[in-house]
Amino acid sequence: MSLAIPNGLDNTVERPGERAPLVLGETTYHDITEAVCKVAERPPSKGWIGGFLVAFALLQMLGLLIVYLIYTGVGVWGNRAPIFWGWPIVNFVFWVGIGHAGTLISAILFLFRQEWRTSINRAAEAMTIFAVACAGTFPGIHVGRAWLAFWLAPYPSLNLWMWPQFRSPLLWDVFAVSTYGTVSLLFWYMGMVPDLATFRDRSKNKYRRMAYGILCLGWSGSSRHWMRYEKAYAILAALAAPLVLSVHTIVSFDFAVSQVPGWHTTIFPPYFVAGAIFSGFAMVLTLMVPARKMLNLEKLITIRHLENMCKIILATGSIVGLAYGTEFFIAWYGQVPAEQFAFLNRAFGPYAWAYWTMVSCNVISPQIFWFKKARTTPWIIVVVSIFVNIGMWFERFVIVISSLSRDYLPSAWAYFTPTWVDWGMLIGSFGLFFTLFLLFCRTLPVINMAEVKATLAKQEHMAHLHGHGEEAAEGH
Amino acid sequence: MSETKIETTVHGMMAEFTTVDSLLSACRRIRDAGYTKTDAYTPFPVHGIDKALGIKPTALPWICLIAGATGTCIALVMQIWMNSIDYKYIISGKPYISLPAFIPVAFELTILLASFGAFFGMWALNGLPKFSNPMFTDPRFDRATDDRFFLYVDASDERYDPSGVRNLLADTGSDYINEVVEDDSPKEVPKPVFLIWGLAVAASLVPLICILTMRVTNSSKPRFHVFFDMDFSPSKDAQQVTSLFADNRAMRSDVPGTVARGQMEESLDMLTGIDVEALTMSDPPRVQRLVRAYMLADDEAKAEEKEAVEAAEAAPASVMDTTPWVEKNPLTVDAELLAQGRQQFEIYCSVCHGMDGYGNGLVARRAQSINAPTWVPPASMHQETLYADKYPDGKLFSTISNGIRKMPGYAGQIKLKDRWAIVAYVRALQKSQNASMDLVPESEKAAVEAAVADVKAELKRQAEEAEKAAAARKQTQS
Ligand code: HEC
Repeated sequence: MSLAIPNGLDNTVERPGERAPLVLGETTYHDITEAVCKVAERPPSKGWIGGFLVAFALLQMLGLLIVYLIYTGVGVWGNRAPIFWGWPIVNFVFWVGIGHAGTLISAILFLFRQEWRTSINRAAEAMTIFAVACAGTFPGIHVGRAWLAFWLAPYPSLNLWMWPQFRSPLLWDVFAVSTYGTVSLLFWYMGMVPDLATFRDRSKNKYRRMAYGILCLGWSGSSRHWMRYEKAYAILAALAAPLVLSVHTIVSFDFAVSQVPGWHTTIFPPYFVAGAIFSGFAMVLTLMVPARKMLNLEKLITIRHLENMCKIILATGSIVGLAYGTEFFIAWYGQVPAEQFAFLNRAFGPYAWAYWTMVSCNVISPQIFWFKKARTTPWIIVVVSIFVNIGMWFERFVIVISSLSRDYLPSAWAYFTPTWVDWGMLIGSFGLFFTLFLLFCRTLPVINMAEVKATLAKQEHMAHLHGHGEEAAEGH
Repeated sequence: MSETKIETTVHGMMAEFTTVDSLLSACRRIRDAGYTKTDAYTPFPVHGIDKALGIKPTALPWICLIAGATGTCIALVMQIWMNSIDYKYIISGKPYISLPAFIPVAFELTILLASFGAFFGMWALNGLPKFSNPMFTDPRFDRATDDRFFLYVDASDERYDPSGVRNLLADTGSDYINEVVEDDSPKEVPKPVFLIWGLAVAASLVPLICILTMRVTNSSKPRFHVFFDMDFSPSKDAQQVTSLFADNRAMRSDVPGTVARGQMEESLDMLTGIDVEALTMSDPPRVQRLVRAYMLADDEAKAEEKEAVEAAEAAPASVMDTTPWVEKNPLTVDAELLAQGRQQFEIYCSVCHGMDGYGNGLVARRAQSINAPTWVPPASMHQETLYADKYPDGKLFSTISNGIRKMPGYAGQIKLKDRWAIVAYVRALQKSQNASMDLVPESEKAAVEAAVADVKAELKRQAEEAEKAAAARKQTQS
């Protein structure tokens, strides 16, 4: 049951007429189970404990800051006239954007039969859900009276005697983000059920077995179940694919449907979606490159996987760069003075430093991925992906802050200065993200074992067809 | 097989395989042998097994379609009902039912419900969650989620006969074949679990019941405030102290250079009482100064203007005389304005000039009674020099606003329009002193006569009272 990979460990080489292997080494089904389950079964490493303590401390800080905010009022933020959206919305758009890679990998790459997604989709989906959790926090507290945030829901209220306004993009946003969060959660959980059954069946401890048994809903691996399961998975993927595209489109409507110069442009939906995929993949790489090393998953998350993601980063980064250029062109071509001013102001006004940070991180730094050497060297990948994360945060900063700080009424112009609470909440949101991610690593299957095994089975089948039949037959 | 196991129900027979291919060929043989109640258990979905086992396609896509369509309908009906029928919103002048704006939410709810359909539909069709499964009784079955493949034939199959199936499975190359028997672990849920469950449910109901009772009962206690919202406004009254500003004053003056709402509706003529167009001909620099002082709130220009006026007042031919004053009150003079002017005059002017304008207000009388040496008596409004032909409305306005000689200006206390109202009232006051009854229109005559009679009666009454009081005093003295 083992498979010899003819070209050793380098699966990034393209061989005409052959599919590059996605699982490396003399790997059996059981090896995959072992590799993935061990991550959660062995006692936590010092690195994990340290990381968790830091992340958890930051999460506590976020919690305390939210209490402080609700107790004191939104004045603790740097949000001042005319920049009422301020950092919370920058952070919201940043996190929602990051939350796009997971479902994209699981849904769109699934529909395109990109099998390399199998090793990374689980962690990427988890990351999506955690990022959406971070994202949801910010508008929730940004509404001012956070304890009344439920007014966003269309329920027959005895206090208001009125309904939400369905022609506002802000309300569309509530529906889009909550639908996205829910569907991503279902998709993630459903994908995890067979692997949770593996966890259950490997548990020696009675309570652990019971907990995973309940979580996996009594999954048995019946072929009849698998058949419906695969159907449901395909349907969910087909539903989630347009959903992913719609979410950031609708987030971009928050801006584009307004009349603020620099926001009121039709390019926003595609531009935001490309940016979201870009930032999402960057975050996946930032996490996966160190994680595959620390969790000993290099045979499953191979250099080829990383390389593919780098290519996506290169493509989406260039799309984002093109969008920056197009915005300028349209501002000039449209001949609307306020628009022209808005864009010149972005690039050369008081926020020029943010604008050029964004351009260098988002457009220039990924260009290094034209070189294969860079695409296959983990440390370069991590550095660039971190640059992209920074750049994408600044993109949202530039859009939200620079446009609001100088719109039509010059007497109302102001320069935005974040307070320590703004900083604390941004850092704290990373605490929330990493706490959830680290807990995920320790308690849930980080790699979709069932799918990787299926990929391995297919790889074996291919090997048959391509004349490795004898070797494979010996293995049987 | 031990004797105890014979008593337990047999569910079927299972066989273990190590590769996909051997499982698939075994499946085909079982299917070809005519067995229909079969199943395979694999760690991952195996391609082609549905054919090998004869599994029929699922109805799941239809469930999704129906769920998705329900989502679309709910979204559209909800939005139209809420925004176009029950609570009509007018947004950007669009029709109440503007479908394009309803698309995003309709799209999201379609996806959401279709996903629910796929997710919950799949579990329902699969009969999950189901935590007890006879397959799990065999410890080797644990590897069904790892790296082993199991084929299972159910005992309820028409053709099922233990030895026949066993032989058939052995034939397919399986090295482990076993009967699947009833799980003999206790079926009842342990009592403590029930107890804890019951307690948790009861506890979770408590807050709900509290809220419900509060909703339906009345209470005489004040409302319990978790969040104050804006129920208690920390607003300040005039002249109060606050810690919010460095100077501790709660009252704030306008930000320099700003114009409050309702201000600046007025022309420069109205602000100064000067006919600016005429002044432009004779004294352009002064117009510039006035613009700076009144329109741009330039304090320096204001001071300059004041100085210039005061210096000129001292000179024989005063600026006051050469200034082209506005001749007529710019406000429409009607009963309302006069009433307003009267009210303001009686508040601000009467203390010096007297209610009737003869210059015998309370302050003036007091000053006379104590023979204050520096006291200049307030002018009487009824001198001919103050009549409209000699003393234009604009000049009177300027006197009120900026003061004159010993009289202080009242621009700081009295609002612009009120000052013009006073001007109108002073004119009426002047006219009233030597007006004949003929000037009063026929329709008003009766009212005026009645008022005059009232006043006369009142005066008589007061005089009598004063007399009586004097007589009484005399009596007590003597
Ligand atoms: C504090 C007492 C005082 C008050 C209050 C006062 N005045 Fe006078 N007013 C005077 C005195 C004193 C003079 C005479 C000034 C002089 O001749 O030096 C005067 C003069 C005048 C004159 C004649 C100016 C001239 O050119 O001869 C007018 C008209 C006048 N007052 C109108 C008003 C009006 C209208 C008000 C109410 C807004 C008012 N005054 C309030 C004290 C007062």
